[in-house]
This record gives sequence, structure tokens and C-alpha cells, in this order.
Amino acid sequence: MSEQDLRGELRNAAVEPLLPIEKKLIGWSLSIGVVLLVVLVIANRYYPIPA
Amino acid sequence: MSNAAVAGEVSTGAAPASGLSEDWLAVWVGLLVFVLALVGIAGPNLLGWVVSTSVWTDVSGALGTTSKNYAGLGGIGALLATYIALLVVLSLGAVALKANVKRFALTFTVVFAISYASWVAGNYAHFAAVTQTDFKKFGIDWSLRLTNEGGFIFALLVGLVISNFFPRFADWLKEAIRPELYIKIAIVILGAFIAVTVAGKLSLARSVSLRGVAAIIEAYLIYWSVVYFVARKWFGFNREWAAPLASGISICGVAAAIATGGAIRSRPTVPILVSSLVVIFAVVEVLILPFLAQTYLSHEPLVAAAWIGLAVKTDGAAVAAGGITEALILAKAAGEGIQYQPGWILGTTAAVKVFIDVFIGIWAFILAYVWTNHINVQNGGDKARVGEIWQRFPKFIIGFVLTFAIAFYAASTATPEALAKITPAIGVANTFRVIFFILTFFSIGVLSNFRALWREGLGKLVAVYIVSLFGFVVWVGLLVSWIFFSGVKPPLAN
Repeated sequence: MSEQDLRGELRNAAVEPLLPIEKKLIGWSLSIGVVLLVVLVIANRYYPIPA
Repeated sequence: MSNAAVAGEVSTGAAPASGLSEDWLAVWVGLLVFVLALVGIAGPNLLGWVVSTSVWTDVSGALGTTSKNYAGLGGIGALLATYIALLVVLSLGAVALKANVKRFALTFTVVFAISYASWVAGNYAHFAAVTQTDFKKFGIDWSLRLTNEGGFIFALLVGLVISNFFPRFADWLKEAIRPELYIKIAIVILGAFIAVTVAGKLSLARSVSLRGVAAIIEAYLIYWSVVYFVARKWFGFNREWAAPLASGISICGVAAAIATGGAIRSRPTVPILVSSLVVIFAVVEVLILPFLAQTYLSHEPLVAAAWIGLAVKTDGAAVAAGGITEALILAKAAGEGIQYQPGWILGTTAAVKVFIDVFIGIWAFILAYVWTNHINVQNGGDKARVGEIWQRFPKFIIGFVLTFAIAFYAASTATPEALAKITPAIGVANTFRVIFFILTFFSIGVLSNFRALWREGLGKLVAVYIVSLFGFVVWVGLLVSWIFFSGVKPPLAN
């Protein structure tokens, strides 16, 4: 891919709408991530790192 | 930056067409250093000739041997011995990688010379001295207080100058510009150093490791999905660009971008260009974040350590930035009369990074499954295979775990007399770790051609990176690090 090609591609790339599977991937990742972080925060509260 | 140049510049640790991969080479070289260091416990110090550098005002006294047993070599002799040993071992490595060995040997000689000269310059007392005691010792009245690890920054800056003002020279050097190889060797050696540091503080070490799980969740599930959404929805990138970009910004830079590119079957150019962007932003972060950490987080050393591990992308830049952060924070704490035990800040940063690295293969498999089954569905086409998890597993982590486990067992079960031998033996190996850090910093600098990136017209990619990294990743990383590590201090030095 030449420099000119790359610039042109990045500038003129057709918009690809988010597919339902991408929305699912984003949504599930975020949701699971937030829930697991909350679980860890609670665990951290009851089992804190020894000072 | 021509694509060919980028392709040559970004060392991924991926297996070449034939021959050993950089990951496995890192394991073998790291284990060699570790085993030779262990021999020192039983008897002869086989590595005591390796060069070490002290803060200096008279350069003739800057270099010396690590062990007094080899003091007869002198500083220059130690430097030459170290250079020759590295040249022989890494040239054999180049044979195994099926690289151009003659060219590697020649360019490695230049890379080593410039890197180490930068390191020595960074140890000049006016740059490195920190405490008033140092000032008196060296007879100076001012210093930039960068600590001796500021020498890493010097190596990085010299690399940047070469890359941006002498691009043909940078291109000539590229056979020996292998930051991923150098940092992976350093991480394998670091495993032993961390083990000796945490032995006897098992409870704290286990707790720090468990908090590494939070880093995995944050990098893969939260960062990735947000950055992918930003790239797709706000900046209009297509899937082929957005997925490697999200992995590069969220996970661990180069390796993740390349693994994701392979997983979604993108054209090779895409992850390689993303990788070049990752390296350049990692340089910016290394130059800024450790100093911010020293200024604002010196009273929360492990928050700073975890934050650096989460915020700085690429293994090399992150672990190296952890080293600088440790030096800066320990120096500031020492100025306040607090002497923390060295190794905990660097160890926490490395642990966070290693935890994140372990899951690259699994994440790549998940993306490959989604892409091949739901997005780019081809009848009878290429489907995701479970074997890809192992294929993309960063093998150098095996070396890290091995050196950690062996050194930890040895240090935990040793008598006080034996422990008194183990600690300095691992310390000698750690001197090699520092040398590989120096080579990493210089190599990262040589890879970072800001002017070429600007010419390339990657403004939109840069915009996503800036918005995601400085608008989200850095701050969420700080928040999560604060939640899990605030109030936790490294043990005090004895």
C-alpha cells in the first residue's frame, strides 16, 4: 500500500455501520467488565492488601 | 514512513518463515543468564565481570565490574567483556532467527556503543545525583535529579534524534533494533529479581498479583470495547482498522495489534501501521508519565506502579517506564527520609503487564471466532482454531514464570547464610537486565520517526489514539489503580 493509497483509504473509506454482533461484542464486554470490576472492588474491601 | 520501513521496524516477536521466534530466543537467553548467575551461589561467580556504571563527575571512574573478584579487568575491560559476551550470544541468537548474522553483529556493535554511551552520560552527577548526601559526595550544587535510571531517557532521546534527523542511519541499524527481543530477555531475568524481592513478603506479593486480575478485566473488556466503539462510531473507521487499533491502544500495543490483525484476517499493513503508532505514543508516555507519577503519586508508590503498567503500551516501554518510576519515587521518598525496598514498584508494573499479556491469545481467538463466524463469513473459509490460543501465547512469559518459580523456591527455603549468597547472585543477573533495558530504550527511540508519521498522513489514527489514551485509558487506569492499591506501600528497606 503506497503512502498515497493509505491517505486516500483513510480519508475516503466507506462508512460501515455497526453490525448487531459488534454491538453485542461491545455491550457484553463492557457489562461483564464492569460487573467483574465491581466484584473485585467488593472483594478488595473485605480482603484488603496487607499494609 | 514507508510501509516497508514500518514493517521492518516493528519487531513483533512473531516467528519468522523458519527458525526460532524472538519469544523463544528471549526465553533461552534469559535462562542462560539466570543459570550462570545461579552457579555463583554454589561457587565461582561466572558473571561478575559484567560492567556496572556509577554516578560520576570524573568519567574515568564511571565504569567498573559487578564483582570485586574481577576488579583487575577495570571499567573498560568490563565493558569490552560485556560487549563481547552479548555479541556472541545474540549473534548465535541471530543465527537461530535466521537473520543476517554479519549485519546483525556489525549493527549490534554500533547499537551497544551508542546505547551504553548514552547510559554513561545519563549517570553524570549533574543529571543523576538526587540527595544532598550525593551533592556533597560529588562536590556539586545542582542536579536535574533524574537518578541514574535517567540514563534510560538519554538512550531514548539519542535514539529519537537518530530516527528523526538521521533516518538513513536509523534504517542501516535496523537489523539490531529489536526492542521486543531485548525487553523480553529483560523480563525473563526480571522474574528472578522479583522473586527474591517478594520472598518473605508472600502475603503482600499474592495480594498484588490478585489485583493484576483487575488489570486484565480493565484492558480486555473495558478499554477494548470503548476504544473500538470510539474508533468505529466517532471516527468512522472500518472494522479492519478499528479492531487492531482498539487492541493496540487497550492491551499491550504491538503484540496485541499484530495478534488482532491476524485474528480478523486484516491485511498485514494495517496492524503494522497501528504498531508504529503504538511505539511512538509509548515513547511520549515514557517521557511524561514517570515524572507525573513522581510528582503526584510518590506517596502511593504501588498506585503509580499499576498505573504505569496499565497506561503505557508495549511491554518494553511499560516495564522500562516502571523502572524509571521506581527510581524517581524511591529517590523522592529517600529525600523525605523513607527508604522503600527496591523492586516492588518495578515488580508491580511488570506483574500487571505479564497478567495482561497472558490473555492475548484467548482474546485473539474470541475475535477470530466472532469475525469468521459472524462478520466475514465465508463458505468453507478460514475459521478460528483453538490452536491459535497457543500460537499467539507470548512464550517469553514461560521464561518469566520459570525464573520466578525457581528463584522464589530457592529464596523461600534458603537458610539465612544461603540467602546471603542468592540475593547478590540474582543481583548480578539483574545487571544484565539493566543492560537489556538500555538497549530497549535506544531501540524504541530509533523506531519512532515522528516526522515520517506526520508525512504519512495518519492524522485520523493519531486522533483516535489521543482521544482514547489521554481522554480515557490513562484516567480509568489511574482510578482502578487507586481503588486497588491506595494505602499499600512497599516494605521498608532493612
